[in-house]
Amino acid sequence: MALREGVGPFGALRYTARDLATRARRRVTTQQETQLMVLTPDFATRPVISFQHVHKTYPTGTEALRDVNLEVPEGDFLFLVGPSGAGKSTLVRLLIREEKPTRGKIFVDGIELGRMKRRKLPYYRRKVGLVFQDFKLLPNLTVFENIAFAMRVLGEPDHKVQARVAEALDTVSLSGKENSYPSSLSGGEQQRVAIARALVHAPRFIIADEPTGNLDPATAWEIMQLFLRINARGATVVMATHNREIVDLLRRRVIAIDAGQIARDDRSGRYHEDVAKPQVRAQ
Amino acid sequence: MLRNLKFALNSAWQSFWRNLAVSLAAVLSITLILILAGTNLIIGHAFSQVLDGFRQKVSEISINVSDDTPLQTVYDFQQQLAADPRVTSVKFVTKDEALTQFKSDPQNGILAQQIEGNPLDAKLEVHVANLSDVSAVDALARKWSGIDPTDPTNYQGDFVNRMLQLSQWLGLAGVALLLILMVVSVVIVMNTIRTAVYHRRKEIEVMKLVGATEWFVRGPFVIEGIMTGLIAASVALSLLVIAYQPAVDRFKSDVGFIPLSYDPAFISSLAVDLLLAGALLGALGSYIGVRRYVRI
Repeated sequence: MALREGVGPFGALRYTARDLATRARRRVTTQQETQLMVLTPDFATRPVISFQHVHKTYPTGTEALRDVNLEVPEGDFLFLVGPSGAGKSTLVRLLIREEKPTRGKIFVDGIELGRMKRRKLPYYRRKVGLVFQDFKLLPNLTVFENIAFAMRVLGEPDHKVQARVAEALDTVSLSGKENSYPSSLSGGEQQRVAIARALVHAPRFIIADEPTGNLDPATAWEIMQLFLRINARGATVVMATHNREIVDLLRRRVIAIDAGQIARDDRSGRYHEDVAKPQVRAQ
Repeated sequence: MLRNLKFALNSAWQSFWRNLAVSLAAVLSITLILILAGTNLIIGHAFSQVLDGFRQKVSEISINVSDDTPLQTVYDFQQQLAADPRVTSVKFVTKDEALTQFKSDPQNGILAQQIEGNPLDAKLEVHVANLSDVSAVDALARKWSGIDPTDPTNYQGDFVNRMLQLSQWLGLAGVALLLILMVVSVVIVMNTIRTAVYHRRKEIEVMKLVGATEWFVRGPFVIEGIMTGLIAASVALSLLVIAYQPAVDRFKSDVGFIPLSYDPAFISSLAVDLLLAGALLGALGSYIGVRRYVRI
């Protein structure tokens, strides 16, 4: 059992067999993970997310994305940055298939999203954990019910729901708050509930749209730690954000979007272009 | 599957009570519509009851036999009529019997006393199975040699035809009314459920984001619609059942000559109709009402 436990800043981490396998494949030790919480994505393997010449024009005529090419390897942690209206949200909406690309192809885990049948969509969404700026918690459900919701939808049996929700609450350090209602929680706590809901069904992808947008810097940092831990367990994380400090501090992959195009793709980037450092283009 | 059904049932039940005001508004609307529909059915049933009563009377045709017809000819014709598939029964009434019949009718009291001898014809009383065949039997009888040429047959021919037409029109009007009521109630349920859905659109959004299938989202609403419909149907049914007998009694005492009667057997068929209609309308209204929000 000792092998299965590691000590992180939020207490004991539990690993599933797949996490261990992922870590073994990536040669990441428990020590590395707890110290750095960094998975080194393997850019040489087939990407799990890939945008190929993606254009998106809304019916109003707004050209939100122009010829976007992007490859994300499994286990990557990437920030989407850029001014408001640059196309970050459109990219996120395309990823969760709220929108279809006007031109080009988007592949996630081998599925082409633009050609996916409507009735297949729910099954795709189950592979993805979503976190939003406004949390999207249901006010009339308790913390437990909110998290369990994501599993009930899958038709999981009660005992499994109970166990997994408890585990997820433990991961986000909210054990004991099961019966609270979202309105009685702080913003940071609410976002942690949302994250617990996003990871309770063990998705392979976490897509977050401004998850720290409504939080103060200290809380935002706590939330980021959570995302890093989820990433360290093997999930691929895509996060649109405006939070310069966090992006600069973490030095993870940064994709800057400007006027619907990818302006910069930096494997360990900053929020603003780093003048001192020569640009490394992925691919 | 069963687990999803349980979830849907729970969710529908909770939603019904959580949005009690909206739910009650829906129940009330559907109740009123089902009362109208039920009243329509009861009136239709009463009308067919009355019509059946009349039918018994008017499907009788009497063929007057002229006095000089040999008895054998009359018997032959009686045989011929009895063999006709349209005819249920033929009865020969002699002149004497006809006179006795005439005298025994209290309406003919004064007239009967003034009668000298027997001016009445012997007659064949023919019961026809189907109202619409009465005129055909009449035509057949008129060609018979033994018929009294001055007063050949007696039947309420025009009346019969009018009744037939009337019953057809009334049936059509009843169906049209039922259709209109159904459309109205579907629209009402649809709007009510749409209000409920609007209150829960965030929940639906979250459901869809975490990968709920369309039927998983729709299920609770459709069940809620069925619940609403069934409750409304029960209320409407009990009100109709309570009112049915007194209404019939009142009607009979006011308009005595119409053979209307209280028919307890009809209640069970009414119950099935109303409950089925309520459930169906609720389900359909919900399905349509929720569709716009469920579409991903």
